[in-house]
Amino acid sequence: MIYRWILENIKGDRWIWFIALSLSILSLLVVYSATGSLAYQKMQGNTEYYLFKHFFLILLSFVAMWFTHKIDYKYFSQISKICLYACIPLLLFTWKFGLNINDASRWINIPILNQAFQPSDLAKLSLIVYLSSYLSKHQMNIQNIKETLIFPLIWISIICLLIALTNFSSSVLLFVTCIILLFISRVPIKYLSVLLISFVFAGSIAMFIGQRGQTVISRFENFIEKKEIPFQLKQAYIAVSTGGLFGKGPGKSNQKNFLPQSYSDFIYAIIIEEYGLLTGLFVLVLYLFLLYRGLVTLMKSERAFGGLLSAGLSFALVIQAIINMCVVVGLLPVTGLTLPLVSMGGTSQLFTGITLGIILSVSRYNEDENNNNLVYDKII
Amino acid sequence: MNIKKSILFNAKISFLVVVLFSSLIIYRIFILQFKEGNHWNKISENMNLSLLDIKANRGSILSDDRSILATSLPFYKVAFDPSIVSNSLFTKKIDSLSLLLSNFFNDRSKESYKSLIKKGKDSGKKYIILNRKRINYEEKEILSKWPIFNEGRLKGGVIFEKIEKRYRPFSKLGYRTIGSVDENYNGTVGLEYSFNNYLIGKDGKALYQKIAGNNWKPVFDGNEVNPENGYDVLTTININIQDIAETALLNGLVSNNAEYGCAIIMDVKSGEIKAISNLSRNSKGRYVELYNYAIGSQGSREPGSTFKLASMLALFEDSKLELIDTVDTGKGEYKFYTEIMKDHKEGGYGKITVKDVFEQSSNIGVAKLIEDHFKDSPSKFLKYINKFGLSKDLNFQMIGYGKPFIKNSNDSSWSKVSLPWMAHGYELKVTPLQTLSFYNAIANNGRFVKPLIVKKIIKANNVIEEFDTEVFEDKIASNKSIQKAKVLLEGVVERGTAKNINNSYYKIAGKTGTAKKVINGRYVNKYYTSFVGFFPSDKPQYSCIVVIDEPKNYRIYGSDVAAPVFREISDRILLTDYNVFNEFQKTEITNNNFPLIRSGFRNDLIDISNHFGISNHSNTDDDWVKTKVIDNSISWESNKSGINLIPNVIGMTYRDALYLLEKKGLKVNFSGSGRVKNQSILPGKNIKNYSTIHLSLR
Repeated sequence: MIYRWILENIKGDRWIWFIALSLSILSLLVVYSATGSLAYQKMQGNTEYYLFKHFFLILLSFVAMWFTHKIDYKYFSQISKICLYACIPLLLFTWKFGLNINDASRWINIPILNQAFQPSDLAKLSLIVYLSSYLSKHQMNIQNIKETLIFPLIWISIICLLIALTNFSSSVLLFVTCIILLFISRVPIKYLSVLLISFVFAGSIAMFIGQRGQTVISRFENFIEKKEIPFQLKQAYIAVSTGGLFGKGPGKSNQKNFLPQSYSDFIYAIIIEEYGLLTGLFVLVLYLFLLYRGLVTLMKSERAFGGLLSAGLSFALVIQAIINMCVVVGLLPVTGLTLPLVSMGGTSQLFTGITLGIILSVSRYNEDENNNNLVYDKII
Repeated sequence: MNIKKSILFNAKISFLVVVLFSSLIIYRIFILQFKEGNHWNKISENMNLSLLDIKANRGSILSDDRSILATSLPFYKVAFDPSIVSNSLFTKKIDSLSLLLSNFFNDRSKESYKSLIKKGKDSGKKYIILNRKRINYEEKEILSKWPIFNEGRLKGGVIFEKIEKRYRPFSKLGYRTIGSVDENYNGTVGLEYSFNNYLIGKDGKALYQKIAGNNWKPVFDGNEVNPENGYDVLTTININIQDIAETALLNGLVSNNAEYGCAIIMDVKSGEIKAISNLSRNSKGRYVELYNYAIGSQGSREPGSTFKLASMLALFEDSKLELIDTVDTGKGEYKFYTEIMKDHKEGGYGKITVKDVFEQSSNIGVAKLIEDHFKDSPSKFLKYINKFGLSKDLNFQMIGYGKPFIKNSNDSSWSKVSLPWMAHGYELKVTPLQTLSFYNAIANNGRFVKPLIVKKIIKANNVIEEFDTEVFEDKIASNKSIQKAKVLLEGVVERGTAKNINNSYYKIAGKTGTAKKVINGRYVNKYYTSFVGFFPSDKPQYSCIVVIDEPKNYRIYGSDVAAPVFREISDRILLTDYNVFNEFQKTEITNNNFPLIRSGFRNDLIDISNHFGISNHSNTDDDWVKTKVIDNSISWESNKSGINLIPNVIGMTYRDALYLLEKKGLKVNFSGSGRVKNQSILPGKNIKNYSTIHLSLR
């Protein structure tokens, strides 16, 4: 019965469903443990409150994922363009009037739902969808900067700059994802290097106009000079190093009490502390496997748009995860990036669900359209 | 290569890069676990992190004009570790240190201090408490300049232990009512106890790291749970009236050599208690506040003649008794069933009017009237007593208040003599507060209001909870009866037992009471005297009760003992001009060099003030405040400006002013040094019209 229902209703790459489900279950366990810490004693010790809230958001993101994967992905091309235009005022509004949490106004409040959300999440998704659509349409003329490349470059600049005003690390992440997407779409490397240089230049300007200049500079200084390991990182190291191969056991983390943001940015440290190095490796492998499945979708896709879309989105997701883990083990300076699918992250989790939904939608249509008309060679 | 293949190839390259990064992560985890494992383990052990409570500040208790009655301030206990002081320094300076200690604490001789310290040093003690007296911050600063002490904690061995202390600017004034706290900062008695839940606040928590010397340093990792400071309790106590009551009561007790006494003053209309004073003799024979006899259950006593008013009122309500009707009180002795009742006057009053019965306080007169009218239905009489509020639970705001004990006619202890004895205030027990509330209702034209001592619970300027005047009974008796009662009460002062306090300036209405005390179940010749009433009686403003227990200097009657205290209180409240109040001096906490704080960031200023032991409280929740100095305390007032308006930075330090102005996007330049004296753009101007502001400092 259930098996048949699943067969009929859960379409697309089953492995991706499996990865999302495994990470979500792990997420529930670790977040519940980590929210038992000091930061959450604010709720009079009612940690169940966070457990239920988090569970609800996971459920919601799965619903979003399911709905998105039912939609034919060709519609996303249109939607993304509208969203992209809408993002410009939204991001400006956030910069000027957004909710201020931890010295950065990254959130705006949705009036009726009374729920804070980050317009940068929407902008990121829209930009990648738009780029995939645009680049797939112009594969014939991809090397022509004046006619073809100018529009995506303008869009990348605008969106990344606007996000950089309030959230520097997200902006860098998005930019890196775009570069990879451009690279996969066969944009010549020389253009990409020019783009990289101009971004560094523009980025430093945005840092000084925006709110995050000082934070970014001081974090970089700390990271490069290595004078003293910051408190947060020290606690993360202790968590990672005391975890051992098999961990201290569920809920037994000691560092969750001392490690700020243990339920979001630094959840990977708690995973290793409680479940051990092997689970940590397993999580890492799951993300790589997710990326691999994204590329399999690209491979199977008969339409260039679908392929690029699934590649771009899976890279976006997995790179964020990799950066997050790099931060935890001290390979990169402290950013504010969460571990997608695992961290407690509010509405961001919904966008992760939608992102996976789109990839699934592509893989679903690959299965349906084995003998389709729009093949690569026909574009050429 | 076709397009798809090329795309796939690029995608695979990107994938490989990601895998490469992942292997770096794995490498780092291995390094952290296996190579640096011991290192981090050791750090984790040495971190000595601990979650510690951050004590919330206990709220203050405020008087009706928001003067502070009790607040929390830091004080210091002086201890000494002689073991770490070098021998040469010790022998050289011990004499001068002992002398200074002796002069400062003024409790032991120089030699005594010297031998105390020397003994400690010789026996290798590491901790000697030099004195149990707690010193304030300024005194601490003086002490730390003394020889040996000036070498500091690590060489000089001086230990200043910080102790938050409940500080009462008015010292012992109303001590028992305001209450006190224990070493854990929980209220033990009085308002401190009754309103402990409001005052106590909620402790916060933060991560602390242990550092050298057994001290804890906060980590400030952004996760701390801030303490919520306790609420302030705004009482109805008026400091001037409280002082008047206390002074008058003390005079009364001293001149009568009495055991204890209490006085309550209540605002007639609102039932707000303006003063409660309790004084009893301690073991050294001095009068201090030891127990709240005015409201506490131990203060519940047989009231005696003050209860007669209730009997008369019941008669007025239930019969056509007129003031000019007569009663035969006989020759001063009258036998009710088995018991003999006596009047004070030798030979008795004979046949007198109802008015005289009350004014002269004839026990037999009242008892006979009540017995005649209610003997067949004593429960009817009790119903009136209940309606008058005398047997009602006052539900008073202070824990431990005494509840009235009034017999029921079907109780087993009820006998035939109960009624006549109750009629003149025996075989029942009430607190002074209960009696006062009844008299207050007469003054208030029959409206019985519940006595009130706490009006509001506040946090800065926000009212958290408000307690309004509660009306228990809108009309305890008809206007006609109330009117008769008032005539009786005025008569007591004009012609009757309390004519000694009559005066031509204003009218007092009241009743004396002199009850024999019961010791070991027998009435003895020891007395419980009282006077209760209101003034000015033609337009009652305050009601007041004065109780003095066991006067010993040959005066035994309420009229001679309690009434003069009442008069002194009413005189000073009504007649004395306010200059008199200024004679009352508060204990000075600063040596007349009150520090200059004008405005700035509220939390900083609170920290500074608490550190220096300056009493302060907030009238606002805003971050930026100005100051208002009231007596010896500081009140923080809001200094907020509109979003697009120039803020007022006068009086701030340059640093604070710079922060505020630059945050608003203004360029700031300045001249001079010190605090901001002038700002070139006036506060309140629209910020958009300006780009630069000049500050002159001084």
